[in-house]
Amino acid sequence: MHIPDGFLDILTVVITYTIFVVYGVYALKKARTELGAEHTVLTSVLSAGIFAAQMLNWPLPGGTSLHFVGGAVAGIILGPWLGFLSLFLVLLIQCLIFHDGGITALGANALNMAIISVLVGFFVYRMLVKAFGTGNSVKFTGAFLGGWLGIVLAGAACGLEIGFSPAFPYGVAITVPVMVAWHALLGIVEGMITAFTILYLINKAPKYMLSEKGVIV
Amino acid sequence: MKSSKDSSLSFRKPMVLVLALVAVSPVFGVVLADMVGYHEPLDVAAEQLGLKDLTDVTNWTPFLDYTMPGLPQEIGYVIAGLLGIGIILAIGFLLRRLVKPVETKKSNT
Repeated sequence: MHIPDGFLDILTVVITYTIFVVYGVYALKKARTELGAEHTVLTSVLSAGIFAAQMLNWPLPGGTSLHFVGGAVAGIILGPWLGFLSLFLVLLIQCLIFHDGGITALGANALNMAIISVLVGFFVYRMLVKAFGTGNSVKFTGAFLGGWLGIVLAGAACGLEIGFSPAFPYGVAITVPVMVAWHALLGIVEGMITAFTILYLINKAPKYMLSEKGVIV
Repeated sequence: MKSSKDSSLSFRKPMVLVLALVAVSPVFGVVLADMVGYHEPLDVAAEQLGLKDLTDVTNWTPFLDYTMPGLPQEIGYVIAGLLGIGIILAIGFLLRRLVKPVETKKSNT
């Protein structure tokens, strides 16, 4: 899902960087009210965990691979603002230190993984819990759907971004279906990992669930 | 961490899990990836459009693709993981020194 340098045209780079910067500044402003010392460390520890989990590529028969993204996990645990910062920290280190994801594509990668997948995960989970109650099965389903839909929509956005190239006028007609179809399938694993992680934390270590404690706006 | 055991967060167990993930990461990130061929959906879509990955041309880091110069890929992958985690945690601890503890929280949802 990490777009490298060379895949995006200049207009897409400018648009995605603009969205990322505007959202990032707003998220930082909102997060300042939540960034106590412990929450700051929790955010970075979750970033470290997501960074490590993303290093585990799961090769699938047929030659396609996937790795856990973790946007929904961050969104559900930390809420949308700290969740954004947590994922962005991962993407920044991956880009600058390991060149995993291009510098020209950092805005797009942040938009897909730190904004879309985090927001979708957070809101889908929150909506289901609000509508159907706080039982474990509801939370499990909410986390699963949040993880799955977050990755599918992030994949769709990624398809739009690489498909919008002036050199390929019908690019999105190819890239969006490919990205959505594959991520709808691969997203099942993302959803399952998200659901089991959230259910475990809620039952065994609820103190880490900032969004459950009413800390998050 | 501090005072009340109930309210303070301990990070020892989560960090053990993180280190365990890094320890097994070469199995998934190197060995199995080499066996099956690492090929994300993004690569599939880009191939169909003929997009060109410029990572090698524009590369600025000696740690490209989680490798360490002069080390076998599996060991380099683990050290790269530890390096990344170390930098992330260092940033977190730096930020921690800059922010004040959050004691009074608004409880609006």
